[in-house]
Formats: sequence, structure tokens, C-alpha cells
Amino acid sequence: MESFREIPAGGKPVKRAYVALMLWFVGRAIQAAARVDEAVGEEFAALPEGFAFSLEVLPGGPAMIVGKDEDGRVRYRGWRPAGRRLDLRMKIKNLEGALLMFTFQESTATATARDRLIVDGEVPAARAVVRILDRVEVYLLPKIVAKLAVKRYPDWPWQEKIANRLRIYAGAILGFP
Amino acid sequence: MCLPGYYEYSCRVKIVAGHDALERIPDLLRRLGARRPLLVTDRGVAGAGLVGILREAMGERLEIGAVADDVPPDSDLEAVNRLAVLYRESGCDALIALGGGSVMDTAKGINILVSERGDDLLKFSGAGTLKRPLKPLIAVPTTAGTGSEVTLVAVIKDRQRRLKMAFVSYFLLPDAAILDSRMTLSLPAPITAATGMDALSHAVEAYYCLGKNPLSDVTALAAIRLIGGNLLNVVHNPSDREGRLAMANAAALAGMAFSNSMVGMVHALGHAVGSVCGLPHGVCMAILLPYGLEYNRHKREAVMGELLFPIGGPEIYGKTAPEDRTGRVIAYIRQLNEDLHAATGGRHARFFGEIRDREGNHAAPRRRLPEIARTALGDGAIFYNPEDLDYDDLLMVLEAAWEGMPLDSGRIRKG
Ligand SMILES: [Fe+2]
Repeated sequence: MESFREIPAGGKPVKRAYVALMLWFVGRAIQAAARVDEAVGEEFAALPEGFAFSLEVLPGGPAMIVGKDEDGRVRYRGWRPAGRRLDLRMKIKNLEGALLMFTFQESTATATARDRLIVDGEVPAARAVVRILDRVEVYLLPKIVAKLAVKRYPDWPWQEKIANRLRIYAGAILGFP
Repeated sequence: MCLPGYYEYSCRVKIVAGHDALERIPDLLRRLGARRPLLVTDRGVAGAGLVGILREAMGERLEIGAVADDVPPDSDLEAVNRLAVLYRESGCDALIALGGGSVMDTAKGINILVSERGDDLLKFSGAGTLKRPLKPLIAVPTTAGTGSEVTLVAVIKDRQRRLKMAFVSYFLLPDAAILDSRMTLSLPAPITAATGMDALSHAVEAYYCLGKNPLSDVTALAAIRLIGGNLLNVVHNPSDREGRLAMANAAALAGMAFSNSMVGMVHALGHAVGSVCGLPHGVCMAILLPYGLEYNRHKREAVMGELLFPIGGPEIYGKTAPEDRTGRVIAYIRQLNEDLHAATGGRHARFFGEIRDREGNHAAPRRRLPEIARTALGDGAIFYNPEDLDYDDLLMVLEAAWEGMPLDSGRIRKG
């Protein structure tokens, strides 16, 4: 049985800031992965034209938005979902749930199974976004942590994984479009 | 016992179960403030004489406002709209759904329209759009399988717009489910077998998938025990009232389990086979269930092994070494399919390749398996499956289920 371990983060503003930082980084990493990783690129290509989605923490954020431009390029579109047209909104019900996810104590799958996520939109699109998130997490995280975050750690050729990881990190930090 | 860090469970449907449960309906409706229900059913149910039995059981104590006995096999918008008009014109104030999953879903759809005084059902699709209780709805299942009598979902097809609308709300739950043995006594053997296997797949998937919790566990185990002890028996002896009542209870219990913990890849694949090839849901469930166990076994060995207790009984469970229990569970379910195949004169299918349509062609042709795999990839049930599945994994399972071969454990990627 898992127990709730309070992560040493002080008050709520710190937790919120941590989650906001993670969302920002993951958002920019998805943008980079869409060009670097073939499978992520294909997942986006299969989504409808102009598709945009958000990952939000209720109530009131933080959030991240990623969408396809007219030319099909995938872009991180910031952290404000208000007033935007979104095809899919994935909302984490509260900050504590988001913290469990982003400290990788709970996988996306477990979070879904535990009703921590509200999915607003088409289910097939939500499935595609979760597959994209899983792949990006494998790139961003060391194996020992990623194994907790995804259901099945993939056996990609390690040279390719390292090369793509470097390019995705560089893209996420520097924000290449 | 597996205790998740967080879970939610709700079942607020009153269950009335017995050989004379129908007699309670007038009183139940009166308590809900209703006196003139619309009876929603389909031709098959009416043709089997079940409307007559229901009327007789209620006698003079309740006046039925109108009988709608032409619900199509797949609940659709046209029927919902038409029957909502009938409801209003007949001055009804409640609904009785007498039938299987499609009749229940249609009744739930009608209930949204007549309660919200709307005319466009699409406005209420999705989760959380209904804000207040609807008109009283009493569900009387005539198959022992879907569990719709205790679920908060309705799926309705819009043929014009080529849409499948899903409605999810606690307000869609029936106020009461009536489980009466008389309602399934005349159910043909192949349908009894397939719907019973659907109920078994609800309970088994609820028990080993990611949403399991202590309450869904209890209902799932009780359902499995009842099905293990009664399904084959009622296929052999259709008029066994005790067996029929046991199966009706099992289906409702399994429905409670899976509507709170959800289901996994067996249903993801089954929904896809259903939508691509039009095979009945229960038929797909019977074929696919052993594969769900085999595929997820490395992640859920201990949990799956526990199923031998309700399936095999305490003696077999005690005598079997823990590492052999899951294997015996899988073998038992395969054997149950074999026995049902024999008991129905070959009409209960064990693998997709043996199902033929009226012209003698494969009802689920092998060349369509890739399309089925792609469809299943977008199914929400995969969220709750213990092991991940990509397109190749889904196709591998489908190929095996087409041929009726066990999964090659060497080809299951364990990561
Ligand atoms: Fe089912």
C-alpha cells in the first residue's frame, strides 16, 4: 500500500510554483519532441488540423497549452487556457493530485484510474495525448523515475534515446520553435 | 486486500430481487410520486410474452400510460425523440424500461428529454451536464449481462449525424432495478451464454484493472461466484428459476463493480470488434476475456490468482499452489467457453474465426483486424488496463483471438 508522503515543499505557493514549472517544461518538451521523435510527430499528425489541448490544475491553474499551427507545427502556447478554443482539456482536480503526478509518485494511468483527472473532449484524442506524454516523460526522466511514471518502460535503442533526449532537453530549455 | 490511496464508489439504485419482484413495482412508483409510467421495451421482449407477465404481476394497481415496444436493437436518437413525444402525449409521469442494454439506454435518453423539457439530446451529452434529478425510472432487465440497470451511462446513436453520444450522470441511474427470475426464463441458450460471459468479464476486469477498490472487489467476487456456480447450469436447464435469479443478481453485482472501477482491454477490444464488424458485445467478451488475463498476468499475478477462490471454490483454491492459481483461472474460463459451446450445440463461439454470418462468410474477417486494432487504440478502457497496449500489441491479441490460440507469453512486451 502506498502512503501519502508530504513532499518537503513548505507552503502551497511553493507547490504551485513547482507544478507550474513542471508544466512549462513539459509543454516546451512536447513542442521539441514533436520534431525530434518520430512517433510523437506521427501522433500529432493524426490529430485533427489545428488541434489544441490543455493540461490544467483545478482550481485556477497552473496550466499548459499545446496546439498545432496551421502548417501542422506543434507549439507550446503558454499557460492561460481562458478564452482559447481547446479541443481537449485535461484537468487535474486539485493541486495535491498534480503534485503526486509531477513528483512521479503516481503514474498518469493510476491518476486516471483514481479519478484525479477530468477529461473534457473526445476520448481517442485523450488517449493520443497520454501516449505523447508517456513518451516525453521517458525522454525527460531517468529510467528509475520514468518506470514509475509510465505503465511500460520501452526498450528503445539507447543511442537513439540519448541523442533524442539531448535534443529535447535543448529544445525545451532554449525554446526552439 | 488492495487499498488505493484514493477512490470513489457509488451505487444508489434500490435492488429488488426475487421470484416475485415485479409485484413491487406499483408500490415503488407510488412512493416516487408517479402513477402512470411509459413502458419502454422491444419487439423481442414483447414477443416473448414478458409485457404480459409484467402487466399481470402489477394487476389493477398500476395503470400503464402507454407501451412503446419498438425500440431498435441499437438505441438511437430517432426512437428517443419519437418516444419522448409519446410520453408527453400519453400524460406519463415515469418510465419502466423492460429489456436489455439498448432498451435501458433508450429509456434513459427519453428521461433526459422529458425531464429537462428539451428537444435536442446532444445538448446534454458528455459528463456533468445534467444538474437535477430526472423522472422516476424503473429498470427491469431481461438479460443477465449488461448491468445497465445499475450504471450511470447511456449510449445513443445519432444516425443522421453519424455520432455516438455518451451521457454520463448519476441522475441517469434508475431509481430501482427489478431482478425477477421470470424475465429471463425464456432467454435463448446462446444469448444466455454470451450475456453471462459479459457479466463475468465485467467482474473479472473490475477485479484486476487499475480502478479496483475494496467495494468493487466485494461485488466482483460475489458476481464471479454466482456466475461460476450457475451459468452453465442455466444454459443446460433454461427453466431453472433459482439459477436464473442467481444470474440476474450476478449481472447487477458485476455492473456495480465495473461502473465504479471501470474495465480494461477486453472491453476496449470488444467495443472495437462490435463497432467495426457488428458482433454482439457478449460474444466478443466471451472470446476476449482469457486474453485479458494472459496479457496482464505479469503485472497482476497475485490479484488474478485470488479469482480461483470464487471460481473453483475453497477446496481447489487451497490445494493449488499460489503460483499456479492464475493459470487455473485462465484454464477454467477457457473450459467454460468450451462447455458453453457444447451446451449450445456449437452456437457459443470460442474464437472469432469460427463465427459465420448467414451467407457463411466470416462475420469478423481476418483482414479487418488492423482496423479493429486502430479503433481499440482510441478506447478509454485502455486507461484502466494494467499493462500498456500499442497498435502491435492489440493486433497480436486479436490475431490470437481470431485463431483461438493462447497468447505466446514471449511476445508480451513487459518493459
Ligand atoms: Fe460489457
